[in-house]
Amino acid sequence: MSLLAQIVDWSALGQTVIAAFLGGVGIAFAFSLGILGAARLTDSSRELGLIGTIGYGTLTAAGMLATLAAIVFGIVVMTSG
Amino acid sequence: MTEADVILVIVIGTALAFDFTNGFHDTANVVATSISTRAMSPRIAVTYAAILNFAGAFISLEVAATVAKDVVVGDVITPTIVFAGLIGAIAWNLATWFFGLPSSSSHALIGGVVGSALAAVGSEAVLSDGVIGKVLVPALIAPMVAFIVGGIAIVVCYRVVGRQRPGPVTRGFRLGQVVSGGMLALAHGTNDAQKTMGIIALALVANGSLDSSADPPFWVIISAATAIALGTYSGGWRIIKTMGTRIIKMDAAQGFSAQGAGSAVILASSHFGYPLSTTHVISGAVMGAGAGKRVSAVRWGVAGNMIVAWILTFPMAAAIGAITYGVTQIFGDGAVGPVLIAGAGIVLTVMAFIRRARSPVPA
Repeated sequence: MSLLAQIVDWSALGQTVIAAFLGGVGIAFAFSLGILGAARLTDSSRELGLIGTIGYGTLTAAGMLATLAAIVFGIVVMTSG
Repeated sequence: MTEADVILVIVIGTALAFDFTNGFHDTANVVATSISTRAMSPRIAVTYAAILNFAGAFISLEVAATVAKDVVVGDVITPTIVFAGLIGAIAWNLATWFFGLPSSSSHALIGGVVGSALAAVGSEAVLSDGVIGKVLVPALIAPMVAFIVGGIAIVVCYRVVGRQRPGPVTRGFRLGQVVSGGMLALAHGTNDAQKTMGIIALALVANGSLDSSADPPFWVIISAATAIALGTYSGGWRIIKTMGTRIIKMDAAQGFSAQGAGSAVILASSHFGYPLSTTHVISGAVMGAGAGKRVSAVRWGVAGNMIVAWILTFPMAAAIGAITYGVTQIFGDGAVGPVLIAGAGIVLTVMAFIRRARSPVPA
């Protein structure tokens, strides 16, 4: 076990796991929120009213922007390495 | 042109041929989920993946540095050893392609070089710390992380959009797959093209044409990027079938989750210079996205066959690499052995392609 501890850079491996977890699950969450907003907007735009429309519109935009931001951040981190 | 130059040219040609088979073999990793959920047509998906594989090759050189400097001792490696390792990797890649199994090109490459180095020089040629710490341990951890991230991601997706009408949700995730598939192709190009760059750099160092501390020259980067992109464009339809439909029946949300999880794991690993298997990662993510919905949704028999191929990859490629090195030595240290083996390899590859072209892709 101590040999493995010497050979393996557990800190870098741990950071890889955390980054992968945050990236993978975070993008899924953000994009799903965007889809939720878009689906509610297209399916029940008449029932929502102005506030509902603005709310779900904002949710859609925020979800998509967060997804885009995560992708850009990932590429920037890669290119800066 | 000296005999050493002839061997170097053969090694570079073989490395680029490996890179082509890597793209060809691993196309499935990138496009299968997009094709099986009908997010993209097969030809568009493959073209898109080829372009982003090409672009991805220019993003980083961390993995190339690991392959060139942390696996074997550069000072004792000769171009013939690199050549034998490449033959081991190509032979294993073609064998697994022949049977439609998505095994790891990366482990085949590193296994092949380790095997030929062991046969030629002995255990002192292999940097076991680098092989264990930068290849084998990440190889074990990465698919499990992808499995867990893919599983949690699909649960999150279903929780958020679960009560919505399927039509708009499916269309939304298909659109998302265009983006996540692109990220996966970029990640694949980043991690996998660099392995060939690392191998060519190793051969150049062995030949005395490159300083051992230098990064791969630009012509190496662009030729590796081109070879993997052309291989990707050619497409490995057998493995696409296995990956896209035979592990799980996938919906668009699962495809999106699997691709997102796979991209995140590969990009994060490339940043730290881990030459992991994109095949293992995306397979793990696909299984996770299946199991996250329902454990019995995963065809564990198919998954089991793939795991057996994974376990065999490193030792089998190493054994072929070692045998190839032994065969080259029958003809002495010159270029005759590599020339004859490269010629025989081309003939066998053409025969395998002809034989496979005559039989349909299994359902």
